[in-house]
Amino acid sequence: MDYGTKPLGREKLSLWLMLTPTLIGLAFGVLGSIVATIALSFTHWDLLTPPKWAGLANFIALFNDPKLIKAFTNTFLFSLLYVPSVVVISLLVAVLLNRKIRGVSIFRTIYFLPAVTSAVATALVWNMIYGKDTGILNYIIESFGGKGVCWLCTNNVLLALIIVNVWGAIGEGMIIFLAGLTAVPREYYEAATLDGAGGSQQFFRITLPLVTPSIFFQTLMSTINAFQAYDYIYMLTRRGQGDSSFPVVVYSIYRNAWTFFNYGGASAQAIELAIFIILLMIFYLWLERRYVVYE
Amino acid sequence: MIRKILALLVTLTFVLSACGGKTGTTGGGLVTITFSAWGAPEELAVWNQIVADFEAANTNIKVNVEVSDWGAYWDKLKTQLAASTPPDIFAMDAPLFLDYQSRGVLLNLQPYVDQNPDMLKDVYPQTLSAYQTSDGYYGLPRDFQTIVLFYNKDMFDAAGMAYPTSDWTWEDLRTAAKQLTKDTSGDGKIDQYGFVFDQWDMEPGWSEAIWAYGGDIVNADHTKTLIGDPAARQAWQLLYDMVFVDKSVPDANTIGQYGGDLFQAKVAAMMPMGHWAVPGYNTGGFKYDVAPMPKGPSGQATSVNSAGFVVAKATKHPQEAFDFIKFVLSQSGQTRLAELGFACPVLKTVAESPIFLQQSGSTLNQQVFLDSLAFAHMKPVFKGYDEWASVVGDGMGAVWRGEADLNTTLNDIVAQADAVLAKNK
Repeated sequence: MDYGTKPLGREKLSLWLMLTPTLIGLAFGVLGSIVATIALSFTHWDLLTPPKWAGLANFIALFNDPKLIKAFTNTFLFSLLYVPSVVVISLLVAVLLNRKIRGVSIFRTIYFLPAVTSAVATALVWNMIYGKDTGILNYIIESFGGKGVCWLCTNNVLLALIIVNVWGAIGEGMIIFLAGLTAVPREYYEAATLDGAGGSQQFFRITLPLVTPSIFFQTLMSTINAFQAYDYIYMLTRRGQGDSSFPVVVYSIYRNAWTFFNYGGASAQAIELAIFIILLMIFYLWLERRYVVYE
Repeated sequence: MIRKILALLVTLTFVLSACGGKTGTTGGGLVTITFSAWGAPEELAVWNQIVADFEAANTNIKVNVEVSDWGAYWDKLKTQLAASTPPDIFAMDAPLFLDYQSRGVLLNLQPYVDQNPDMLKDVYPQTLSAYQTSDGYYGLPRDFQTIVLFYNKDMFDAAGMAYPTSDWTWEDLRTAAKQLTKDTSGDGKIDQYGFVFDQWDMEPGWSEAIWAYGGDIVNADHTKTLIGDPAARQAWQLLYDMVFVDKSVPDANTIGQYGGDLFQAKVAAMMPMGHWAVPGYNTGGFKYDVAPMPKGPSGQATSVNSAGFVVAKATKHPQEAFDFIKFVLSQSGQTRLAELGFACPVLKTVAESPIFLQQSGSTLNQQVFLDSLAFAHMKPVFKGYDEWASVVGDGMGAVWRGEADLNTTLNDIVAQADAVLAKNK
C-alpha cells in the first residue's frame, strides 16, 4: 500500500504547515466534540447548571425510552430499504449514462440536480406531490381510475420517504459509479465482444466485478447517510412544535438536547448511534476483504 | 518543528481572542449592552427603531440588537448561556420562563422594580403573573397574546350565515362548522372545512375547550396532569367528534398536506389564533374578523400568554439592561410595538387607545383581544414545559391521525406527562 512520493526534509515542514489549519479544526472541532460527548454521556447536564455525575443512568435509560426505541426502529427500517435502493438504482443510472448518447451531460445534470437543491424546498414540493386530497400523484392515479393513496399516512409513510430520499441520493451515487465505470479498460469489452459475449454477460462478468470498489464505497456512504437522514424526513412528517410522525434517531438526539434540556441523554443516544454505525462499518470492511476486487 | 507548530498555535490563539469579546465598556463611559429576541425580519426593523429612540434618550448606552427566527433563537441562547456569554437582555416566552429561572441564569429584577414603583401600575396584571416568583420578578412582559376565534367573512357570506358572536357556545361553533364544511368542486372530497385548531400546541389549540368545559391542564403545584379528568374528556370528545364524526375539522393527515396555516390557505372558515397571525392574514387576500372564544358548560374561557424580557444574571450592566426594559414598557416603546401589529401591548393606556384599536389599513375588531382578558386562563408556566408538552402533543398525534383510541391514549399520556412533572420537581 505505497502510494505517491514521500516528502523530504524541508518539504515536510511546509506540508505540516499547510495541514495545520485542518488539523486544528479536526482536533478541536471533531476530536474535541467526540471526547466531550463521551464525557457528557455519563452526566446529567441541562446546559445551564454544572453537570452532575450520572454513571450509566443515561445508557440504561436508552432501553426504557419508548420514543427512542421507536426512533431506532424507524432508522433501521429506513436504512434497510434505502441503502440497497440507492446503490442499485444509481448504478443502473450510471451504466445508462455511460454511453455515447445525445445530450448525455444534460441527463447527468438532471439526475444530479436534487443533490444541489435545498432539501427543505424540494421536500415542500414533494409534499404537494404526496397530498392525499390535493396531491399531484393521487390526481394522476385517480384520472386513470385508480384509488388515491394517503402517501404520508402511517402505513405508507416509510415507502413515501424512501422514494424521496433515494431520488435525492441518486445523483451523488451516479457520480461515484460513473467514475468507477470510466476506469474499466475498454479493451475488456472489445475482447468480450470478439468472444461473443452479450450485453448482460458483459455487465455481470466485466462491469460488476470491476466496479465493486465503487459499490463498496457507495454502500458505506449510503449507510452513513441513512443513519443520519433527517431533512426530507422531518419536512414531510413534521407536526406542530417539532413533532414528527416518523421520528428518526438524529431527530431524537436533537430534541433531547435542545428542547428537553437533556444533554447527557442526548450524548448517550449519539454514542449508541455511533456504535451501531461502527459495527456496521466493521462488517462492511470484512465484506470488502472477501468480495471487493482491486485491480 | 513541533516548536514551530506551537508558535503558530499561540499566534492563532491571540488572533482568535482578539476577535471575541463584544460587550463591555468602551471609552468615554459608553456602555454597550446586547439584546436578543426571536422574530421576523420586520420585527428587527421595529426593534432597531425602539433602540434608536432609547439611545437618543440615554446617550451613554448603546444597544446591539440580535433577532433570529424562533428555533434558532433558543438554540443560540442556550449555547451562549452555557458559554457564559449570554446577551444582557433576552426575550422570553412565559411557559419556558421557569426552565431558565429555576436554573439560576436570570437576574432578579425585583430590586429595580422597587426603585420604580409606578412602572407596572398601568400593566395588565394577567400578563405579569407568569414572571412573578416567590422572591419577586425575574422577568417582565413586553406584550401579550389572547386567543380569539378568527373567522373568514367571505366563507360566512357565501353560506349566508351570521358571523360568530360573543354569546356563541361550543355547540353553536360545532353547528356552524358543519354548515361551513363543503365539497365546493364536487369531486367527493372536502375542500372547505368549518373549523381547524392546532392539534399539537394547546395555546391556539385545545386548552380553551378544556377550560370552557370546566377542566384544567395541570394542578396548581405542577405535580398532576389534569387533561384526562372527566371534564377535560368532555372537551376532548367534542373536538374528536368534530374531526371524526362531523368531519368539519380536518384530521392530522389532511392538515399535513397543506403544509401550513389552513386559515391563511383559505381552507378553514374558523380557527382559534393569537394576534401574531394578523400581519400575515392582512396580506392574505381575504376578509376576516375576530370574535371571542365560545362558551362551554363552565362559562367562557380562553388562553393568555405573554412574551417578555429577562436579564442574564451574568450581565455586567444590570442597571442599563433594566433601563432598556423600562423603556420598552414605557408609552413610547409600547406604541412602537403596537404599530408593529404582532401582539397586544401590555400597557393599558396604549392598548385601550387608537394606537392599538385602530391600526392603519385594518378594520379588525381589536377590542376582542383586550376583552378576552376578562375570562382568560394563563398558559401554564412550569419547569419542564417543553418536554411535558411534547408528551401530550406527540401522544395526541396518533389520535388526530385516526389511529388511536381517544380515551386509552389520554390514559397513557397522563401517566407519561406526570412522570415528566415528577422529574422536573
